[in-house]
Amino acid sequence: MKTDKELNNILNECLERLLVKGETIEQCLANYPEHTAEIEPLLRTAVAIGRASAVEPRPEFRSRARYQFQSALREAKPQRRLPFFGGQPRWAIAVVTVLIVLLGAGGTVAAADDSMPDSFLYPVKLATEEVRLKLTASNLGKAELYAELADRRVAEIVYMVNKGESERVEDIGQRLNSSLVALAGLTSAEAGDRVFTAAEPAAPPSPAPGVLEKSDTGVTDGQGPGDEKTKLRTTLERYLVDHPAALNAALKEAPESVKPVLQKIIAEVTADYEEVLQALD
Amino acid sequence: MQDEQNLIHLVKQGDKEAFAQLYENHFDKIYRYVVLRIGNKTEAEDMTQQVFLNALRSVSTFKWKGVPFSSWLFRIAHNLVVDYMRKEKRQTIVCLDESMVSSDCGPQLLAEQKLDTEQLIRATQKLTAAQREVISLRFAGGLSVAEAAKVMGKSEGAVKALQHSAVINLRKALSGSVPNENR
Repeated sequence: MKTDKELNNILNECLERLLVKGETIEQCLANYPEHTAEIEPLLRTAVAIGRASAVEPRPEFRSRARYQFQSALREAKPQRRLPFFGGQPRWAIAVVTVLIVLLGAGGTVAAADDSMPDSFLYPVKLATEEVRLKLTASNLGKAELYAELADRRVAEIVYMVNKGESERVEDIGQRLNSSLVALAGLTSAEAGDRVFTAAEPAAPPSPAPGVLEKSDTGVTDGQGPGDEKTKLRTTLERYLVDHPAALNAALKEAPESVKPVLQKIIAEVTADYEEVLQALD
Repeated sequence: MQDEQNLIHLVKQGDKEAFAQLYENHFDKIYRYVVLRIGNKTEAEDMTQQVFLNALRSVSTFKWKGVPFSSWLFRIAHNLVVDYMRKEKRQTIVCLDESMVSSDCGPQLLAEQKLDTEQLIRATQKLTAAQREVISLRFAGGLSVAEAAKVMGKSEGAVKALQHSAVINLRKALSGSVPNENR
């Protein structure tokens, strides 16, 4: 008597021959006469399933979708990575590096942390963020930091919308998008083998794709990687709701000149968060 | 048709026509997969479109490491379906109109197939989530067992077992209404 595993294989082989190679049920069963009674009804059901699954998109939908996709394709810009330090002025980089590395969180850095894009300290804020990213060893740590940066960018966008500065809003929107794209990259299934790039010498067993692990030594609160990942997910789920809500609230009060830019940002943010959360599943 | 790996290489270099080719190659399969998973025509259209927009946005993160592009694309679709299910907390079944059924069938088969599509969607709701996923990937998406295994994060053996049990359960659910197959 055949085992379940063997029957699984026979059924699968017959399905391949039927559905891919176009053979008939009889041709396939000829190889397994002793299993005809068992396999034949399943194959007949499978063929019916195959036919019933052949649903065609409506022609109008197909045309509309193709047009929209090609429009998006035309507008798509090559993904560019912001260079290290994000093109911040050299003086800001020098100040931040000295303050962070030698003095810890100095007053200037602390003050810059709360600055908005129209402040002269804003370049210090951005440079500080770049340094923090550079100094964060694990990919999970980086992902958490990117989430924090996204939160900052949203607050800045709301602030600049109120000032009616569409160019700055657009610029911050791009930074927000860059943070979320980087976050998606860190959490995506394809990054599954990269999350251990900073792992200890004795690396743990291979993780499931997309599973983030805290691999630096900065974890001292007794939380495991699963806790950290859950925490990140909770944060991102909150942001998925809060950030579009904040931006939509700003949109209601926004000057007309800023609205198109802001609407584009809202659409991107929502899609970006969904993508990040999917990658975390 | 160009080799898919070559197309991906071109896409990575910014070739938009290559991406358009990938879109055409996979559009129908993704749509069928989503329809079978959620059974909602309107949502399936929106979701199919979103799959490709998401792919466009994140294709730069795709790496060809033995995982086919199709598996990656279906993974995006799978995640959107899961999110949809999570948000909706329901599994809607809608009546499918004729425009959703292959138009290259004769009138007799068209009527039969229309009936089958509705029945199939209803019947798949009686499967486990994993069985439904396998049926959708294999029959609607046209993926091989190996590709389906990549999407689901399972072994090929596990996918074959799920496929077997799913077909058995579907046969039970469809008993008495499965059309006679004369191939």
